[in-house]
Amino acid sequence: MFRSIAEQIANSHLSIILQSTPWVVPVTQSIHIIALSMLFASVLMISLRLLGFGASGRSVSQIAGTLLPWIWRALLVLLLTGLLQAFIEPVRQFITPIFWLKMLLVASLAPLTLWFSRTLRANVTAWDAQATRPAVAKLFAVVSIIGWSTVIVFGRFIAYVWADYL
Amino acid sequence: MATPEFILALQDTALASFIRGETAGGEWAFPVIETLHVMALATVYGSIAMVDLRMLGITSRDVRLSKLADEVLPWTWTAFLTAALTGSLMFVSMGETYWNNLEFRLKFLCMALAGVNMAIYQFGMHRRVSEWDMRLPPPLAVRTAGALSITLWTGVVFFGRWIGFSI
Repeated sequence: MFRSIAEQIANSHLSIILQSTPWVVPVTQSIHIIALSMLFASVLMISLRLLGFGASGRSVSQIAGTLLPWIWRALLVLLLTGLLQAFIEPVRQFITPIFWLKMLLVASLAPLTLWFSRTLRANVTAWDAQATRPAVAKLFAVVSIIGWSTVIVFGRFIAYVWADYL
Repeated sequence: MATPEFILALQDTALASFIRGETAGGEWAFPVIETLHVMALATVYGSIAMVDLRMLGITSRDVRLSKLADEVLPWTWTAFLTAALTGSLMFVSMGETYWNNLEFRLKFLCMALAGVNMAIYQFGMHRRVSEWDMRLPPPLAVRTAGALSITLWTGVVFFGRWIGFSI
């Protein structure tokens, strides 16, 4: 089923034009990597701070206040460049289970980050101080680092793992 | 430019053969190394961009540049070492191809220029950082260094990704 949908998209007029323009895919992928870098580094900085690493005078809410908007911007760019890649090379993406696992993971991590953003805003005093920071904050940090790292692993492995049964 | 002897010699080692996936059980060596390289470069680029955007006066305006740099750059260097190590391993596996690849050369040109730019800033404006640290927008020389840095590192990522399409 995935294969026939993918082939329909791949055979569309616009997809064929984009496929035959050699610079489109590398440029799209490069922008995708730039955006994922902004997201990943932001996630790392916030999470490491939540875990108590990094000798910094800045509070968690200060760091998150600066970096969360960059995470949302990055996610938007990732979504757009990702959609474009799926539109140009749908067969490559849709027939590997890794792609769908990646989408599932992103669809879980984005709302989790939104939850973090809201919870932090509602509990700034408790979350900013190392002593009163709840365990759930550290759990979020660990899940974020492992989760987004796995997204990158899956993203790279789309190029290597094929499963023709989909 | 002829490929240097040592690059050809490295390519003939058992390590190189393993990374190319020619050994039983090593089929995933290259993709794994490549993935670690992507995670490392993402940390390098993202953290440098945070500092560059602060130098441009665009973001993190509520924190001194020197403080932000102290906070972020140790992670940048750790990630850079990881990227250099994983990059070297990929290079060892097929050095001749990379050496003769235009995009590979442009990538390293961008990285070298980024290094020069960083050195000029470090030995120039950064020596008097406490004098202008809180000024917004930052002095023109600082903004220029920030703009050059993010442009050159973007070039590193673009050419890096392009290597995969041109070899």
